[in-house]
Amino acid sequence: MENRVSLGSIQKAVWDGRLPLEIVLASSESRTFDKTDPYLWHYPVGLLFDLYAGVDPASKTAARDNESPGDGSSLPWRLIVHFSDWPPDLVRLDADGMVMNDAFINSVKEADFLRNGTAKGIMSLSKEDSSGLWNAVQEVDLLSFQRISNILLPQLSQPFRNVPIRVFLPLLPDAESSSLKVVQTLLPPLIPASSMQSSQMLTSRNGSTLQPQTVGTVLHTLLPNLFPSRRTPVLAKPVLHGAVVPMSAPVEEVVRSSAYGDGWAYLVVRMMG
Amino acid sequence: MAASCSAFPFLTQSEFEGACQDLADRCTSAQHTDWSAIRLLTKPDGTSLRITKRVDVPSPLEAPALDLEESQEDEDPEALVRAKPQPSLQIDYDILLSPTYQVPVLYFGLRWHNHGPLGLDEVYQYVVPEQYRRQLKSVGVMGGISMGYHPDSGAPAFFVHPCNTADAMANIADAQSVTPGSYLLIWLGLVGHCVNLHVPRELFA
Repeated sequence: MENRVSLGSIQKAVWDGRLPLEIVLASSESRTFDKTDPYLWHYPVGLLFDLYAGVDPASKTAARDNESPGDGSSLPWRLIVHFSDWPPDLVRLDADGMVMNDAFINSVKEADFLRNGTAKGIMSLSKEDSSGLWNAVQEVDLLSFQRISNILLPQLSQPFRNVPIRVFLPLLPDAESSSLKVVQTLLPPLIPASSMQSSQMLTSRNGSTLQPQTVGTVLHTLLPNLFPSRRTPVLAKPVLHGAVVPMSAPVEEVVRSSAYGDGWAYLVVRMMG
Repeated sequence: MAASCSAFPFLTQSEFEGACQDLADRCTSAQHTDWSAIRLLTKPDGTSLRITKRVDVPSPLEAPALDLEESQEDEDPEALVRAKPQPSLQIDYDILLSPTYQVPVLYFGLRWHNHGPLGLDEVYQYVVPEQYRRQLKSVGVMGGISMGYHPDSGAPAFFVHPCNTADAMANIADAQSVTPGSYLLIWLGLVGHCVNLHVPRELFA
């Protein structure tokens, strides 16, 4: 059960994470400096921060090299709010938050479908629990969230069918379109063992040797040019919740401990250097 | 005779692409369908099928003001009095393969001549046939049609929830005999009607 304790403590750390925001009203003066893209509201703010804020993600080495606390100069993250001129490339929101709620539930359904291979779990979730899940996320209420998400998640002893992970490619600084490049494929948590690795091997029922699918194996499979190695980040590194994720981390554990409220882990690829 | 679907009730990427190509070819040779265009969009990360349809909307939606220049060019004193054209709504339907659900998913967007994109109210008013409206509005948080972002273009779009598609296909189609081509037609029959996208009868002539 040691495993469970550490998954839970990572999850608690993720939920305890806070992002200092400075939200300012757009004035006609500030408009001229407002060159940024409109942010896609259907993504978690942590993902948007990883994507757009341009802060060097935390890692063990960075923490050692750079201990002066005043250095996080890009925080708080400054956002500009507009009350008029809604951009045409953004889905409109309603005052009751239904559009946002709907997008969240659709995302939860997708994650559930990947984990179980059917939509039965989420379809059988009661209306109270379904809105409770959204409320728990809005109120950052981890206990209520865990109660409901445990109804959906397969038991620890039972591996996911596929692991809900989306990988976001680096944004080009002067790209004309602000549309994000997202990569997704079916990712089983266990894959046939490569002959090189001997640790963490498992034997499946039919006798073939399996190994856990790691962040490194996922990135190497999806983006072999950016991730030529399964174990060492060479050209780019994966970032989640503002931190570099170890290449050796098994993806199912990453999702169980560090998924966003909708059940997905959104990995952002950042170029090295 | 084409091979049956290898992962029924799901479709693989190559089966989906083959079925889209097949449907586009059949439409092109049938000519007179009520679809004004069908186009296969091939991109490195996947194929999609775009079907464009124009629907004459029986008012009372405010007729858009004509572009001044355009109306002057049109003015020909010798011309016979023409009937005022019905305002027509353009609907672009995009069929994509969902990487999550492994089934086709239907995205669509509305365009009104000279107007920007329209909202969910207009979808129910002008796109969803009356007999489906109440049923479609009653499911989920805000009905069976959601607003989201088009996976390819990133632009705002509507989509029909795909999460029950595989179960519905398994109930209707025969796993042994269904080919990717017939899968796509059955799927269109299941999903398309509620948003006014019907398989043209000319395809079966």
